[in-house]
Amino acid sequence: MARTVTTNRKLVFTVIGWAIGLTLFFPILWTFLTSFKTEGEAIATPPSFLFFDWTLENYLTVNDRSDYFRHAINSVVISLGSTALGLLVAIPAAWSMAFTPTKRTKDILMWMLSTKMLPAVGVLVPITLIFRDTGLMDTRTGLVIVLMLMNLPIIVWMLFTYFKEIPGEILEAARMDGATLGKEIIYVLAPMAVPGIASTLLLNIILAWNEAFWTVLLTTNNAAPLTAMIAQYSSPEGLFWSKLSAASMLAIAPILVMGWFSQKQLVRGLTFGAVK
Amino acid sequence: MQGSELTRAKVRSALVFLAPMLLALALAAGWPLGRTLWFAFTDASLTDNGYSFIGFENFWNSEWGGLLEDGNWWQAVGNTLYFTFVSVALETVLGVGIALALDVPFRGRAIVRAAVLIPWAIPTVVSAKMWGWMLHDQFGLINDLGMSLGLLDQPVAWMANSATALTAIVAVDVWKTTPFMALLVLAALQMLPRDIYEAARIDGIHPVRVFFRVTLPLIRPALMVAVIFRGLDALRAFDLMYAMTANNESTMTMSVFARQQLVDFQDVGYGSAAAALLFVMVAVLTAAVLTLGRVRLTGGAR
Repeated sequence: MARTVTTNRKLVFTVIGWAIGLTLFFPILWTFLTSFKTEGEAIATPPSFLFFDWTLENYLTVNDRSDYFRHAINSVVISLGSTALGLLVAIPAAWSMAFTPTKRTKDILMWMLSTKMLPAVGVLVPITLIFRDTGLMDTRTGLVIVLMLMNLPIIVWMLFTYFKEIPGEILEAARMDGATLGKEIIYVLAPMAVPGIASTLLLNIILAWNEAFWTVLLTTNNAAPLTAMIAQYSSPEGLFWSKLSAASMLAIAPILVMGWFSQKQLVRGLTFGAVK
Repeated sequence: MQGSELTRAKVRSALVFLAPMLLALALAAGWPLGRTLWFAFTDASLTDNGYSFIGFENFWNSEWGGLLEDGNWWQAVGNTLYFTFVSVALETVLGVGIALALDVPFRGRAIVRAAVLIPWAIPTVVSAKMWGWMLHDQFGLINDLGMSLGLLDQPVAWMANSATALTAIVAVDVWKTTPFMALLVLAALQMLPRDIYEAARIDGIHPVRVFFRVTLPLIRPALMVAVIFRGLDALRAFDLMYAMTANNESTMTMSVFARQQLVDFQDVGYGSAAAALLFVMVAVLTAAVLTLGRVRLTGGAR
């Protein structure tokens, strides 16, 4: 008797769990399906779920007409570039805050986090003016710099939480054994810091990939990444829902793959390290 | 003597390490923000190079009213507050519910958790387009489902109708951000000691009572941090509204309003005033939350 109750309860929880997962996932599934329909089938009533003529035409059209690869390369360059530059600035900063904390460390961290609360429109015009005057408008270099700066607080913060977990006693021990600062960093600290740096790297690539405020407002054509392409997607001849769906799938595919392998890091980073 | 020498050397090198980041943040946040605050008190415009200081006239003046008498601005303020309160409230309640459901082990839980994460990990502009398609008045799936389930009598033009557009945007945001809440709450739930539940079960206390008397008080600190983060984020909301309805007044938030003034109307002074007010609002709320609530935003660091 007791066993039937638990089995039933288990079944209920499984059903609830899967229902939640499927409901939240459904819009993405629907976009995926639409991307394989012809424009005519996409607007058919009642809508068909699986039994339609699957076609790859939309993907080919998107690639031809919207120059998918050029936008994708921009996305890759911008997200990798801003991440690399960000790590270059953030690693030393997080390092020194984690290992040589002073009275001000906490203030610096709070001040840094508070810049993340800043509404982006608050700095829109000054940054646009700088871009106009320096010729950075619609260049990948410009976006690399801006996205690096926008994500810097979160990178420093994340690295700091990882570095803090490296025990200081190990450094003491290395120093007792006569390791110099250089050796200390190369042989002791670096190997322990690599996982944290890797996680931060993954998260920041995703954040930069998803960014749409600056990429839309600071590009016109040359440097526009995938988010800007999607934001401005339209078709000269009427219906474009399947093509838009195909474009959307192409824009999120890299994120889905990377996100799958970095779920934990993603959660940790987007919650400012509150969830481990 | 040697120790203090060493300490001083360490502090010096720490400062050298910190300097690039501090400089970068000051340049990225401090200087542009300062300029925006200055522009807010001028009549600057992108089409005209010269500008002059006009005091508080962008905020209020007897001639054409200024921001504080601009109906569109007040509507943007109202929309922003409505969006913030409704979406954060729904996300909190649903997030706690989902977290409770995912806290119980079941077959395929790892897959479900990963699937739940997806809406939140993809670009907002893509979500906006996806939902724009599903909410389409003629061909959208939502209308079709609603009609065949008997929930709707006739197709609704969700995004065109000013009464439903903001609700639809709230719904999309709830879809996108509830997973964030759920994951934060889930992490808090998983740190709770299991023996409390054991004790409650043996005493025969109803699960609902256990939730309100035991679980909720224990996860409250984590929940507060999540709510505050989301709230501050929602006040700045921009991309969802902009991608779904562009400059439509019925869904325009304070950020969208400021962007329209700055970019479309090239009215730097007026737009900066709007941006400055938004900034001040967010800053005051952040400071109030940090001091009054004594919420440890840095709680995760320990």
